[in-house]
Amino acid sequence: MHIKNHLDAINACRFCFMCRHLDPVGNVTFREADTPRGRALICDRMRMDAANLKNADFIETLYRSALSAANRFHCVSHYDETGLVLEARKDIVEAGLAPERVTALAKALEKASFAVKGKGSVLYFGEKPELYPGCKVITGKDAGKALEVLGFADASKAVFDKFAKAVEASKCKTLVVAEPSAYDFLKDKLAGVKVVHCAEYVLAAGVKAGRARKAVYLESDFLKNYCGNPSAPRDLLKKAGYALLPFGTNSEESYAVGEGAVVYDELNPALCEQLCKRVYSLSGTKKTLFITASATVRDTLKKYNPKFEIITLEEAVALLQA
Amino acid sequence: MTPKNYLYEMIRSELTWAVGDEHVQTNDADKLGHSIDYYWVPECWHDRGEKPTPPDFVVHPGNAQEVAEVLKIANTHKIPVIPWGGGSGSQGGALPIYGGIVLDMKRMNKVLAIDPVSMTVTVEVGINTQHLEWEVEKAGYSTMHFPASIACATLGGFIAHRGTGVLSTKYGKIEDMIMSLEVVTPTGEIINTLPVPRHASGPALTELYLGSEGTLGVVTKAVMKIHPIPEARKFHAFLFKTMHDAMVAGSKIMTSRLRPCVIRLYDETETAKLIKRVLGIDRKGAYLVFGFDGPEKIVDLELEEACKICRALDHEDLGTEAGQNWWDHRYKFFYPPFMFHVPQAFGTLDTVATFANIEKVYWAMKNVVQDNFPQATFIGHFSHWYDWGCMLYARFIIDEPPKDPNEAVALYNRIWDMAIRAAIKEGGVINEHHGVGLKLGRIMRDLYGPAFKVLESIKKTLDPNNIMNPGKMGLPGKGE
Repeated sequence: MHIKNHLDAINACRFCFMCRHLDPVGNVTFREADTPRGRALICDRMRMDAANLKNADFIETLYRSALSAANRFHCVSHYDETGLVLEARKDIVEAGLAPERVTALAKALEKASFAVKGKGSVLYFGEKPELYPGCKVITGKDAGKALEVLGFADASKAVFDKFAKAVEASKCKTLVVAEPSAYDFLKDKLAGVKVVHCAEYVLAAGVKAGRARKAVYLESDFLKNYCGNPSAPRDLLKKAGYALLPFGTNSEESYAVGEGAVVYDELNPALCEQLCKRVYSLSGTKKTLFITASATVRDTLKKYNPKFEIITLEEAVALLQA
Repeated sequence: MTPKNYLYEMIRSELTWAVGDEHVQTNDADKLGHSIDYYWVPECWHDRGEKPTPPDFVVHPGNAQEVAEVLKIANTHKIPVIPWGGGSGSQGGALPIYGGIVLDMKRMNKVLAIDPVSMTVTVEVGINTQHLEWEVEKAGYSTMHFPASIACATLGGFIAHRGTGVLSTKYGKIEDMIMSLEVVTPTGEIINTLPVPRHASGPALTELYLGSEGTLGVVTKAVMKIHPIPEARKFHAFLFKTMHDAMVAGSKIMTSRLRPCVIRLYDETETAKLIKRVLGIDRKGAYLVFGFDGPEKIVDLELEEACKICRALDHEDLGTEAGQNWWDHRYKFFYPPFMFHVPQAFGTLDTVATFANIEKVYWAMKNVVQDNFPQATFIGHFSHWYDWGCMLYARFIIDEPPKDPNEAVALYNRIWDMAIRAAIKEGGVINEHHGVGLKLGRIMRDLYGPAFKVLESIKKTLDPNNIMNPGKMGLPGKGE
């Protein structure tokens, strides 16, 4: 079983309550099962007796996790509970026990294809190619991260291989990635290619300060909790002219509405709406501009409240440069 | 109760009518999470492949009225109701030992009002205490309630077992922080205690519910004191050759009526083990740290006076940095791998006594553990200091308990029993801030003597069907 690779997390988390206040799902469902402790207990039961792998309640709970990693970031020893859940999902998939909606989603994701267009020595992967005039562009959707997160390791690799082939054909040695989940997935995977996040790239290229504007930057699960919390997104926004406002009750909670689970809204729409409602309620009645590194987070927050004013980092920079 | 039988389905239906379908869970994942709390016994059982008793239903009420409805249903069917906050209690107080309804209070988590004139917050007690602190801080105040379990537990949990935080020496335990309570009685009436905690209007009902561990009703709302953020908070640490020398220093600080917000004293063994491991201070002796907060001028003055007391004794001055370092890492002790963990057997034998008795209590516990259980290590620190005495946070640790879960649990219970009875003999009590729960209920009658009948009578009168958390605190179990 793959979960046995994360025995340290099982043993550390199964009886530990110290990060429960940061689980975004637990904070809206209030269920003990929706905490790192609850999930580690489930994985422990599965480890002890493989028959528990077939328990539909256990499987559902593991697919309900938003994988925000805020808990891991908070933990003084950074036990990898989200890694444990990903391993459990692999076990579930390999045993042919993935819920129907998960399998259907995976089938759709497997069809991904990629193509390279344009000219330049730098390759851009994101939704705003017009902001990168000197770059080639690789088109296509998820490069394999979503399948990986769902537990479909082989299918994820197959999609990634298609992506890698397209990158190789481009002959570019630098890949600029906009979506944080893709950045997290690709940053150490492409041999001979330097992968940079768009915030880092645009910051290095230089931006002029635009007219001053206040905004809230919603931290990205991937950039903050998985990728070491780089300062580039905040530095870029400040340089572009944004005065960043504090948001929520603290700087530890994740307000990324399931970003860590990549396809969370497709998988758990009712729960995702609850995560969004928490962000709306914390934002109060005052009209505020929100900025996110993730187009997925933007689209999700817009979906459940079209009036919610949220744009991506790239759009935010473009807005003030215009 | 057998799932899917007629009665089970009837109760489930009634519960869903009371709180809504989505707030009643009967699935395995939720039941598993509620069958194990922070008590070592269910952890050990789980670890050894046993299955601790799960609840039949997990119910998340949204307001006091819904709580009242659930209690009425439970009375009709005479089934147990076990209030559950964060589930991080160490005494088994929230375990559904007879199945029944676990009333998970976390949905009742709203801050209802902050009164800046009287400096109080009105709040639903299902709120996680870290969330409460963040909300209060956003308004420019602090609850000053900083227990190690701040992120784990709910306010209701602290009220249920008289919890305490690191700064208790100045700001008090939870019973000193609470102004008044809203409670749903076991028979389903919603009542409020008097609005202020100091009065001469009869006995204090608030006190009745503080520490009642869900046996006398369900606390749903509290008015709690809040405080301004102090201008300064400063620390200092000393090392003394022996725990006794450090105890003399600590008690002198308190009896001179200085007002530290915290004092903590680690015995020689814990200094050598945990202080070394967590803070990296590798010295022989007893580590004493204290802190003061408030207006900076007063803090400096009080800190200096406390240091003078320590310097008059045989000491090593570790300075302010070693004190600040302790404060910065004060929760680290409780995260894995710094905290003890199963398969180790461990227990926090916490008690409290006067300065005249506290060292006698320490030695009585230590001797009884070491003499009778050579496989156990005994460590201790003194955590919460009052004008008249302090709390002993003693722990025993067995690295390799018996493999057989029944043997392991029997050994564990025996150590608890002997150590706590030894403490009581020297003027200690069952517990200082973790509560009684399932673990120590059997000792309550001996601790209280004839006075225990008063508690039993109150319970019987308020809860005629004994639905509220039966079998805890030494009160009758189901069917008794």
